[in-house]
Amino acid sequence: MKGVKGVKGVKGANGAVWRASRAAVKRRRVQTVVIGLVVFCSTTTVLLALAVISAARAPFDDAFAQQRGAHVVAAFDPAKASAEQLAATAHRPGVEAAAGPFDQAVVEIPTDWVGRPPGALTLVGRSDPAGPVDRVRLLGGRWAAGPGEVVVNEPFGGFSERFLNHPLPLGDGRQLTIVGFATSMSQSAGGWVTPEQAAALHPTGRQMLYRFSDASGEQRLTSAMGTVTEGLPKDALTNAQSYLVLKEAFSAGADAYLPLMTVFGVLGLVVAALIVGNVVSGAVVSGYRHIGVLKSIGFTPRQVVTVYLTMVSVPAVAGTVLGTAAGWAAAHPILQAAFSGITTGIAVIEPAGWLPAATLISVPLLVLLAALVPASRAHRLSAAQAISAGSAPRNGRGLKIQRRLGGTRLPRAVSLGLGQPFARPARTALTMSAIMLGVLTVTVTTGLGSTLTRLVDHADGRTHIKVLTAHFAGDATTEPRLTPAQTEAMLRATPGAERVSVRGLVQVGLVGYPQPAFADFYSGDDAVDTKRLQVVRGRPATGPNEIEAGPSFIRQHGLKLGDRLTLDLDGRHLTVTLVGEESEGNPRAFASNDATRAALTDDPHAVEYDVRLAEGADPEAYQRAVSAADPSLSPSVFAPDMGGPIVAVISFATIFTVLLSVVAALGVFNTLLLTIRERRRDLGMLKSIGMTPRQVVTMTLASVTWQGAVSAAIGVPAGILAHRLLVENVGSIVFPESAMDVWDVPLLIGLALAGVGIAVLGALVPARSAARLPIAEVLHNE
Amino acid sequence: MNTDHDGTSRPDDAQVVVELTGVHKEFGDAKALDGLDLRIRAGEAVAVMGPSGCGKSTLLNMVAGLDRPTSGTVRVQGQDLGPLNENGLALFRRRHIGMIFQFFNLIDDLPALDNVALAAQLTGTTARQARRRALELLDELGVAHRKDVYPAALSGGERQRVAVARALMNRPALLLADEPTGALDSRSGEQVMDLLIDLNQIGQTLLIVTHDPALATRCAGRLVEMADGRVARERILEASS
Ligand SMILES: Nc1ncnc2c1ncn2[C@@H]1O[C@H](COP(=O)(O)OP(=O)(O)OP(=O)(O)O)[C@@H](O)[C@H]1O
Ligand SMILES: [Mg+2]
Repeated sequence: MKGVKGVKGVKGANGAVWRASRAAVKRRRVQTVVIGLVVFCSTTTVLLALAVISAARAPFDDAFAQQRGAHVVAAFDPAKASAEQLAATAHRPGVEAAAGPFDQAVVEIPTDWVGRPPGALTLVGRSDPAGPVDRVRLLGGRWAAGPGEVVVNEPFGGFSERFLNHPLPLGDGRQLTIVGFATSMSQSAGGWVTPEQAAALHPTGRQMLYRFSDASGEQRLTSAMGTVTEGLPKDALTNAQSYLVLKEAFSAGADAYLPLMTVFGVLGLVVAALIVGNVVSGAVVSGYRHIGVLKSIGFTPRQVVTVYLTMVSVPAVAGTVLGTAAGWAAAHPILQAAFSGITTGIAVIEPAGWLPAATLISVPLLVLLAALVPASRAHRLSAAQAISAGSAPRNGRGLKIQRRLGGTRLPRAVSLGLGQPFARPARTALTMSAIMLGVLTVTVTTGLGSTLTRLVDHADGRTHIKVLTAHFAGDATTEPRLTPAQTEAMLRATPGAERVSVRGLVQVGLVGYPQPAFADFYSGDDAVDTKRLQVVRGRPATGPNEIEAGPSFIRQHGLKLGDRLTLDLDGRHLTVTLVGEESEGNPRAFASNDATRAALTDDPHAVEYDVRLAEGADPEAYQRAVSAADPSLSPSVFAPDMGGPIVAVISFATIFTVLLSVVAALGVFNTLLLTIRERRRDLGMLKSIGMTPRQVVTMTLASVTWQGAVSAAIGVPAGILAHRLLVENVGSIVFPESAMDVWDVPLLIGLALAGVGIAVLGALVPARSAARLPIAEVLHNE
Repeated sequence: MNTDHDGTSRPDDAQVVVELTGVHKEFGDAKALDGLDLRIRAGEAVAVMGPSGCGKSTLLNMVAGLDRPTSGTVRVQGQDLGPLNENGLALFRRRHIGMIFQFFNLIDDLPALDNVALAAQLTGTTARQARRRALELLDELGVAHRKDVYPAALSGGERQRVAVARALMNRPALLLADEPTGALDSRSGEQVMDLLIDLNQIGQTLLIVTHDPALATRCAGRLVEMADGRVARERILEASS
């Protein structure tokens, strides 16, 4: 009997708690909406941030594991190691799995082919793409089954249907037919043919693919290879390519921008946490009087806390769910953009499946935590204290400041407004930090945008015309009418041209390295200037046998300025010196000049011309004249290449800036709303003694404007500092000073105004609603 | 209803400060005021009594321009309040109206002196001048020694006297009081009553809403009894003190 009664009592109490919570949510509609919106924006931000941070390396590992990628791709000299000897190495200790030996031949492709420059191509004879190691993924077409058939490795993972059944002419007059495209995460070959075909191509190597039981570092790989090659002649192993190098190359592009994205992610997390904390604890604090009433009618402290947590959780849960959905929807395209232009192979760049779970659990926890602190204070508060919480004298220093302000010459509405934030210093601090971080984000984004733009744009402010050859533009069938020399002369002679430079592109072997590299040779006027990439260390490669390259090329080839490197083109060797480091660049490309090119090959390999037009020249007319002279050329007005990661970073940054600014503005909005709710009676009284609506607005705006101004005064320099730290620490881009120093006075003033803007924006609605408060009601009800 | 033949203690030709004609006020279906007429001359002290919910506070709000009638006209100091916008009403209140409330409505963040000075500072008076006059008023009302104390630390009677000082700051033509003694113990209530009597003695026009017959009979020269949103009865009172 007793038990039943007890249960009934509990049920009744729960009903009351639930009714009180529901009423509280209903009566505080605006606050409920604000909590919901803030949680929504924050959740989206957090999910996007986590998506980018988590996506950087995992895709390679996943795809590599899926293909059972080779930890080491080894090439042996067939004269020194027999096929049987090599097959036996598969059973050496430490070897987990091995494939091969496969015949390996290097062929020279004399012309551009399927959109790639001429040069060396490594072909491996394999009867099928499967096996214990390096399960090559067929992207399209079929595997090579007969003589003359070749499957081309497509490192970027995509392929063009139209190149299927395309001929692939070899240097010696023979010809292969492309029957398929495939991709190998191990980069084990440039293409695959049948074993018979490989044997017919005069193989110069035997390929073995190894997986080791311990492949956790470069040193382990080296010692494992030592075990494998034990007993073979000393120089039987001609080449060993480690998957660790590939892995680094894979994430190099993403790595460049990862620090930037991480910073935005962390900023997003911090701002979101701050504002959620501010909004939620504000809801509880402003409800003290309500809490007192609940207690006085017999709610237990625990029930009161329950009412408040319920009140906050309703919008918080809704915001989390919707925010997760929105973030999830946006994560996919954002990641695609962030990783575009990167050698992805079959690696699938998509947001990790655990992300929604992470936000769905962590954001409500954060909200709960933010609510718990003030709620536990409400728990301790006696009913009488809670009821009078509104009228108790507050912080002494705040009062003194208000007193002093009252004595100044400022209009009273202004000085009252200026003093208000001091009455609740903790809330003011939270609001200001929100604005401050908002301004910091805007500053960093703006600076980053300018920096990236300056990095890729011409600095001369003139119109440049870019002219591509047909082959380079991907059209292998149209034959040029003019030779490279004639083309250059024509471009110079066409009216409007002021300067012309030429870019030659050829793939060359690097003696001692498994992968070939792309060599850009610049010639013509002002050759250095047109490269667009600036040399930030050392000096530009202007002399014969000098090269320059980006930081990732230098790092991945283990070079430093002054080091020598031997190039190999069609069997001709040339030793060059690395004299300069460019600001950024493809990890597989370096740049040099025409003199160096001439020492290596007679063919200029011209693929692209850059024409600087004279001031006032008509770009349209110039392009028409070029097309008329040689229809195979495709001229276009040069636009800075804002492709790939740069766009990704800028759009990513912009999304975060918008989200964070909205969240910051909502934070301000909420604080003011609470303040006004608390001060309804004061406002009513002020109006009853003759404060005009305009003075009410003035007072409210004054209270936030200075908070905005002070926050901007901190946020802008902090943003400039953050921008500087960021651009100096991005691994694979070395920014020249001109691209880092992007600040000027109008920009800085604009940024400072952004802080005030965020504050005023958030304040406008509450200010006007304060001005409209019905005095008669307020004075009576409070 | 004929409020003209009331024979107040003041001469008939004295200036009319308040004139309400046919004032209706509806809140949804509820009629708070239902065709109310009332006229108050300069120097009068009028008390309004009546059962709870009969519209007394609504009447005060109309006179102070804190709310607008559904129909009818409200004139104060010859000025029709109908055409005024929010700004106009605010300026009107500054110039002509002082209000005191049952629960004082002081600003908790400001000490007594600044609460009083505030009213003048809103009109652009310098802080120094405003504080000087505020101090004079606090002195007259006997609470000058509490000038630096915050409202939370003042007694109820002291708070109400500070509130009266604030209401008088701009030398209003009309002082409105809604249950000025309602929240006070009897001794503090007496003090506030004496204060109101003194003010009326020196010519301050008063309109007091109260449930307390003692307050009405002691302070007012005329008693207006309301019922259901109209004036039910009027009486001239003998000055009792
Ligand atoms: N803002 C409002 N909204 C709706 N109804 C209102 C409002 N203000 C007053 N009323 C209604 O108008 C009527 C008159 O209210 P008013 O406050 O003037 O009464 P009162 O005479 O002052 O009562 P009391 O002596 O209890 O203070 C009441 O029925 C009240 O419910
Ligand atoms: Mg009333």
